[in-house]
Amino acid sequence: MTQAVTPVLLHPGFGAGVPVEARARAAELRDEWDAADQNVDAQSFWKETGKRFLANKVGVAAAGVVLLLVVGAVFAPLITSADPLVGQPTDRLQNIGSPGHVLGTDEQGRDVWARVLYGGRLSLLAGFVPTVGAALIGTIIGVTSGMLRGVVGTILMRFMDVLYAFPAILLAIAVGSSLGPGLTNTIIAVTIVFIPPVARVAESATRRVVVQEFIEAAHLSGASGFRVARSQILPNVLNDIIVYSSGLVGVAMIIAASLSFLSLGSPPPVPEWGYMLNSLRGSLYTTPLVTLVPGFFIFLTSVAFNMASDALREAMDSRL
Amino acid sequence: MLRLAARRVGLAVPILVGVSIIVFLLMTILPGNAEAGLVPEDATPAQRAAIRDSLGLNDPLPVRYVAWLVEALRGDLGYSLQRRREVADLLVQAWGNTFVLAAVSAVLGITLGLLLGYVAGTRRGTLVDRVVSIVSLAGLSVPSFFVAIILLSIFAGGLKMFPSGGATFDEGPIAAIRSLVLPVASGSLITMAITARVTRAGIVDVLSADFVETLRAKGLSELEVRTHVLRNAISPVLTTSGVQIGALLGGSVLVETIFRWPGMGQLLYTAISSRDLVVVQGATLVIALTFVIINLMVDILQAAVDPRVRGAVA
Amino acid sequence: MPEAITSVQAEQPGENGNSLPKRPLLELIDISKEFDVRDNGRRATLSAVNEVSLKVRTGRTLGIVGESGCGKSTLARVIVGLHAASSGEMLFENRQIETTGRRPRKIVEQMQMVFQDPSSALNPRATVGESIGFPLRVQGASKKEIDARVKQVITDVGLPASYVGNYPHQLSGGQRQRVNIARALALQPKLVVLDEAVSALDKSIQAQVLNLLADLQRDYQLTYVFISHDLNVVEYISDEVAVMYLGQVVEEGSAKALYENPRHPYTQLLLSSIPTLDPAQSNRDEPIGAGDSEIPSPISPPSGCRFRTRCPFVMDICSEVLPPRVEAAPEHIVACHLYSEGAERNDGAVAAAAS
Ligand SMILES: Nc1ncnc2c1ncn2[C@@H]1O[C@H](COP(=O)(O)OP(=O)(O)OP(=O)(O)O)[C@@H](O)[C@H]1O
Ligand code: SF4
Ligand SMILES: [Mg+2]
Repeated sequence: MTQAVTPVLLHPGFGAGVPVEARARAAELRDEWDAADQNVDAQSFWKETGKRFLANKVGVAAAGVVLLLVVGAVFAPLITSADPLVGQPTDRLQNIGSPGHVLGTDEQGRDVWARVLYGGRLSLLAGFVPTVGAALIGTIIGVTSGMLRGVVGTILMRFMDVLYAFPAILLAIAVGSSLGPGLTNTIIAVTIVFIPPVARVAESATRRVVVQEFIEAAHLSGASGFRVARSQILPNVLNDIIVYSSGLVGVAMIIAASLSFLSLGSPPPVPEWGYMLNSLRGSLYTTPLVTLVPGFFIFLTSVAFNMASDALREAMDSRL
Repeated sequence: MLRLAARRVGLAVPILVGVSIIVFLLMTILPGNAEAGLVPEDATPAQRAAIRDSLGLNDPLPVRYVAWLVEALRGDLGYSLQRRREVADLLVQAWGNTFVLAAVSAVLGITLGLLLGYVAGTRRGTLVDRVVSIVSLAGLSVPSFFVAIILLSIFAGGLKMFPSGGATFDEGPIAAIRSLVLPVASGSLITMAITARVTRAGIVDVLSADFVETLRAKGLSELEVRTHVLRNAISPVLTTSGVQIGALLGGSVLVETIFRWPGMGQLLYTAISSRDLVVVQGATLVIALTFVIINLMVDILQAAVDPRVRGAVA
Repeated sequence: MPEAITSVQAEQPGENGNSLPKRPLLELIDISKEFDVRDNGRRATLSAVNEVSLKVRTGRTLGIVGESGCGKSTLARVIVGLHAASSGEMLFENRQIETTGRRPRKIVEQMQMVFQDPSSALNPRATVGESIGFPLRVQGASKKEIDARVKQVITDVGLPASYVGNYPHQLSGGQRQRVNIARALALQPKLVVLDEAVSALDKSIQAQVLNLLADLQRDYQLTYVFISHDLNVVEYISDEVAVMYLGQVVEEGSAKALYENPRHPYTQLLLSSIPTLDPAQSNRDEPIGAGDSEIPSPISPPSGCRFRTRCPFVMDICSEVLPPRVEAAPEHIVACHLYSEGAERNDGAVAAAAS
């Protein structure tokens, strides 16, 4: 985007009454200048972010791992024929690499590889759903209070502060233990834990955006507050929220796994990584490597999400 | 300074009240929670109602909340039928043990994290930097209970270097310290990881600012320059340290359970398993209060260290 | 005096008929705006705009000058309804409009604003076309209508129509300001408030944009309120000029009269006819206020005349009584005790004191 170097046009007086020649010269220059402008390919923020992300090998690899895990969980029945729920009591506590059981078996003789694949369903669900849910609700709360300020905004944010005053896992445990065990309750608990931090991120991003002049311009076009929020504010706070939330998926999985480790998750025998880790604890000294398998998968997923999130942050940061 | 501390304390009061309301509601509002464990499974509806009445469970919620709060403030958090002990007694003992564990973990984790972050930040782009980055990302992504299990399998199982179960100071200092090693190692890992990341980012930021060159140009020794850099990078570390301690307190539930460390976490775990809700309520309240107070202290400390923060508050 | 007005008209291209310019499109009556702020932790009121009365004539340009922080932007926002006024009334096309609450959309749409900061005035996530078309979308226009109208205004502001698909970061400062102008024009408003519309631009680009504004005023039959701290620019584009100091209008009159014969001590200071009368030493090009003695805070403005702390002619009465608005010459209003009926000094005395 080159711009023609233009001489100073204003004559020293620059007063009323003598604008004619300056005007003509300006008009000339305007044409020149327009001609010099190349029409650069329009690129939206999101397209450019996508490109940048794809250029980051670590980020792509991490996203690939996530994808593999999801595929593994969804197509578990196609990948293994072993039953994750019923085991062969004679096959109890096989070590890794034993014939027919790549990752060994657990204390009931169930194939750990099958249980890991199937267990990914609940674990990934428990990582995704609360993150998405909290991102939605937190965004609504944060944008609302960032726009309104005043009494409503203050009350909303003080409420968030109160929830934020609990250590994350503790709040999840408290909510989980009061709702009782189960996947749905775990998801609700983790969602509640994540709403306050997302709301804070959304609120501070909104505060940054609402003072900009294009928001005032939007109000001047007669748009309602809701419309301004949706069409002007949201696109400008979404990047912050997405970066922040993507970093939460790993944490959500860990919290959900913690809950099911404390038997507040989905009831057995349905496999879930956190619960598996806990139930395999008994065989820690006989087949230690098998015990570590579900923990390793929690770790892998969480690392992959955190790396992808870091890459996403970098891809979005580099501009504007 | 005093005025600022007073202001901060003033701001914390509504938060504390809010926390107590939430703890109260979580344990009471849900059907069946309040009388759980108090009413026999096979009680008739009439018996149930009578018991509810005698417990004051039919009063309006605000009345019950105030009554509960007054009792709590007087140190009475209820009586655990399962444990046959006053909840407050149970908590006092457990709180001390958790405090030792969390404090040692925090000191260790933050010190190591600062060190690693500083080394990585000043050697940006080198192999050391990359290793630290990977280690801290891993530390961030690994559940503390998983680390605990790994450590347990290696050091208590394979090598038998450290005990797998917790001892307290009642059993002599050596036994206590030996049994602290593994829980501290698993608890402090995440603290170390986060501190290292934040410190590294802070150092990189400060080093790219102009004033470092100015300091060098002024003829300050390299050591003095480094002190300056570290001091400037430390504010964000303090900011996150409150959250970190929260993570430690929360994470203690799992770590303590695995190592059978007789702290709040283990108490909470057993209480959840036996649906001993009075204890769950009391433990949740005490951990949350501890967290709020620690955050408050971090806030005030930060204002004392960093004049910019002070200005923003006043 | 009637001749003077006609002569001003004659200079104004595109003006038709003698009756038109006299009628105000917009009239402000004692408009004030106060902000609740914290001053060292204590609650305080900041008087950003105080009892401002102005007339903006149809098809003309009212220039507003004043130092940074004197309340120009606040006044602009009160006019277009972005800020609720604390008190005062407004007449638009001779009808009273809401100043303290929400205005009906019909009124809102007729007054648009071009903003000060080109970097924050456009939504970075929206294309140029989306930004310009947004007001039309709000109105519920069809996609075809919107496209046609966007194409029309974007060429009217001198940008190639192909720019509709570009994002703001791909444009230069001058181009962005053109987009801002185009957006303000999309709804075909009657009044456009331009808040420092050219201040962020290079001198050469300033000239282009100013000329564009003049062209648009003619083509779209616009009335401008043109705000700037740059005296030259205001003189160039304005028909009438009002000078603001600490939230108050201290002098107003035709651009010619005000620049040739400034009456208020503050205006004189601005135009640097005081202390040097030598044009060679004039600093009219510099941002005003620079190097001058300290401006009092609008949180606790001086009593009586707000300018008295810096005024070379300050008298006893100045700290006690708010100077009334006096018509020192026809259509030339000054708020200063030097021109009050009771006061002994007059125009000549000021000149004498200055020499
Ligand atoms: N939203 C607000 N809240 C509190 N005070 C404000 C607000 N907006 C403006 N002010 C104050 O009102 C006074 C006038 O500000 P305003 O922006 O109108 O000045 P200005 O003449 O436009 O200055 P500039 O040339 O710097 O743009 C200033 O003292 C400013 O600090
Ligand atoms: S009223 Fe007094 S202080 Fe104010 S400008 Fe006039 S002479 Fe100066
Ligand atoms: Mg302004």
